[in-house]
Amino acid sequence: MLKSAERKISIILTLLAIGYLILSYQLPSYPFVPVDSDLMPKLLGFLLIVLSIILFFGPNTDEQENKTNHVSRHELVILLLLTALIILYISLLEVIGFVIVTALFIFSCSWILGYKNFKVNVIVSILFPVVIFYIFNYLLQINLPSGILPF
Amino acid sequence: MNTVQGILQGFQVAFSLDGIFFVFIGVTIGTLIGMLPGLGPITAIAIMIPMIYGMDPTIAMVLMAGVYYGAIFGGSTSSILLNAPGVSGTVATSFDGYPMAQQGKAGKALAIAAIASFTGGTISIILLMLFAPTLAQVAVSFGPVEYFALMFMGLVAISSLSDGSAIKALISGVLGLMAVTIGIDAQTGTPRFTFGNSNLLEGIDFLVVALGLFALAEVAFLIKNRNNDSLTKTQHIGSLRLTKQDFKEMRGPLLRHSPLGFIMGVLPGAGATIASFISYIVEKRFSKRPEEFGKGSIKGLAAPETSNNAATSGAFVPLLSLGIPGSGTTAIMLGALLVLGINPGPLLFQDHPEVFWGVVASMYIGNIFLLILNLPLIPYIAKILKIPRPLLISLIIMFCMIGVYSISFNVFDLYLLLAFGLIGYLFRLYAFPAPPFILAFILGGMMEQSLRQALTISNGDYMILLESPIAIGLFIISLLTFVFPFIRSRGKMAK
Repeated sequence: MLKSAERKISIILTLLAIGYLILSYQLPSYPFVPVDSDLMPKLLGFLLIVLSIILFFGPNTDEQENKTNHVSRHELVILLLLTALIILYISLLEVIGFVIVTALFIFSCSWILGYKNFKVNVIVSILFPVVIFYIFNYLLQINLPSGILPF
Repeated sequence: MNTVQGILQGFQVAFSLDGIFFVFIGVTIGTLIGMLPGLGPITAIAIMIPMIYGMDPTIAMVLMAGVYYGAIFGGSTSSILLNAPGVSGTVATSFDGYPMAQQGKAGKALAIAAIASFTGGTISIILLMLFAPTLAQVAVSFGPVEYFALMFMGLVAISSLSDGSAIKALISGVLGLMAVTIGIDAQTGTPRFTFGNSNLLEGIDFLVVALGLFALAEVAFLIKNRNNDSLTKTQHIGSLRLTKQDFKEMRGPLLRHSPLGFIMGVLPGAGATIASFISYIVEKRFSKRPEEFGKGSIKGLAAPETSNNAATSGAFVPLLSLGIPGSGTTAIMLGALLVLGINPGPLLFQDHPEVFWGVVASMYIGNIFLLILNLPLIPYIAKILKIPRPLLISLIIMFCMIGVYSISFNVFDLYLLLAFGLIGYLFRLYAFPAPPFILAFILGGMMEQSLRQALTISNGDYMILLESPIAIGLFIISLLTFVFPFIRSRGKMAK
């Protein structure tokens, strides 16, 4: 079972290497340049194929490590939820503004992860973005998006 | 520029108000992040990077170095109190530190760890001062061929010495080299692998890779352990006092493992983790009472603690004198230095002597701060371990986002960050080590450049790579380190 996981990875890597090589061979070449920009990519592409083949046939060394890293269904759901939340955060950051989106993110992220202390969660969610916004915009002169808030 | 002048200049930087302030900030943040299980020095430094943009390079380096050795110093606290090493360099600390804590001698264990760390750190700074400038003098004569060979050796070494499968580590390194070819080629101006996306023309920022591959991926694994109660319960620490007998027992390991750890730190790919394990094994083998090891032996605690801190100073030798980092952590520091317009390498000693000497001098002060932070204040600092994990996870995700956004102001980079977080998570899940990736990513551009420079000089003749005796020596060493793990795994299988 595990062996097959490693073999799957090696096949994916080989496909990646082939795609990479196809792109490398399409790179335009310049006359009068002894070494062009395609040299390194080609070397790397072939190297990755060789390494993937070794991985495919090589001995399997870390069985135990993989077992401890087993992901439960529940955990996967949480990870996917968080990923969705991060994507939502990124897409709304410049629209609504840093302070509001960050406050909402911290609150909902902590809540999804099972933090039930409502009061502390609200306080941290509001304080953290406000303090960071102040430090960045006024002390470090790095302007985070203010969005719909007037300051 | 002679050494005495350099040292004086260094202390001038270190004792300036900025110097003292930022080394203090650095070691404090390092201690705090190092203490939290799951978050290592790479994450700590990567999170700091947005704050150092625009800073004076010397002070920035002082800060980052402080975070690095502070993290190794602080990592021992959670090893001892919780048996959950804060950083991988302190895993060996838990072997004897945790049993001591269970016997109600947590305070004593913390005191021993702090003194051992302090001694290891301080002695190896002296070695760093002696060793790095000499090495730099040799390296001044290096041309593109030697540099290529050196970086090649660094990559092979980190791959074969990292834990787990060597072939997976090499794949990780190759993927890192591939990732850096994305963007406009520096020599011909050809856009490569950009898929017509203008956001990719400048290539991927190393901070995106560092934060994604390490910080975000570490967060994903923190999620799994977030409800682990043993992490939030702190024990009664007990007295920090050591007896004369304790000091006597510590003296041997302290003196033995400072130089040993330093050498392990200098070697590419080795670093604090391997140094601490080797020291533990060596100390156990030469001990008159090896049966005490693992049950709270003072020597077994002092040896790895001395060694891992000595190794962190050692790691600065290749970084500052050759400009070639030997580990993931120093690779990120190199990336940050390049952004600040400093090119570490043999010329650093001529062009920016204050950077080297300033960092070295600040390490003395940093170590003293760490001793103060870790001895009398440790019971208070250990309270950070009680921060609820869900809250901590949300805040770290935010730090990553802000970090990337504040340097690029580009939402695209945030998606890229998420993608690298996913890659880092898959890496961990399938036991691919991530440090070779980041090292390759940071060295990749320079490696390609020196290879092509060399080949341009020889007009495309590959034999130029074998014309320099130094390069041949380095290639042979790389070959040996490459073959070594295969022989080792064969040996294991035969057993």
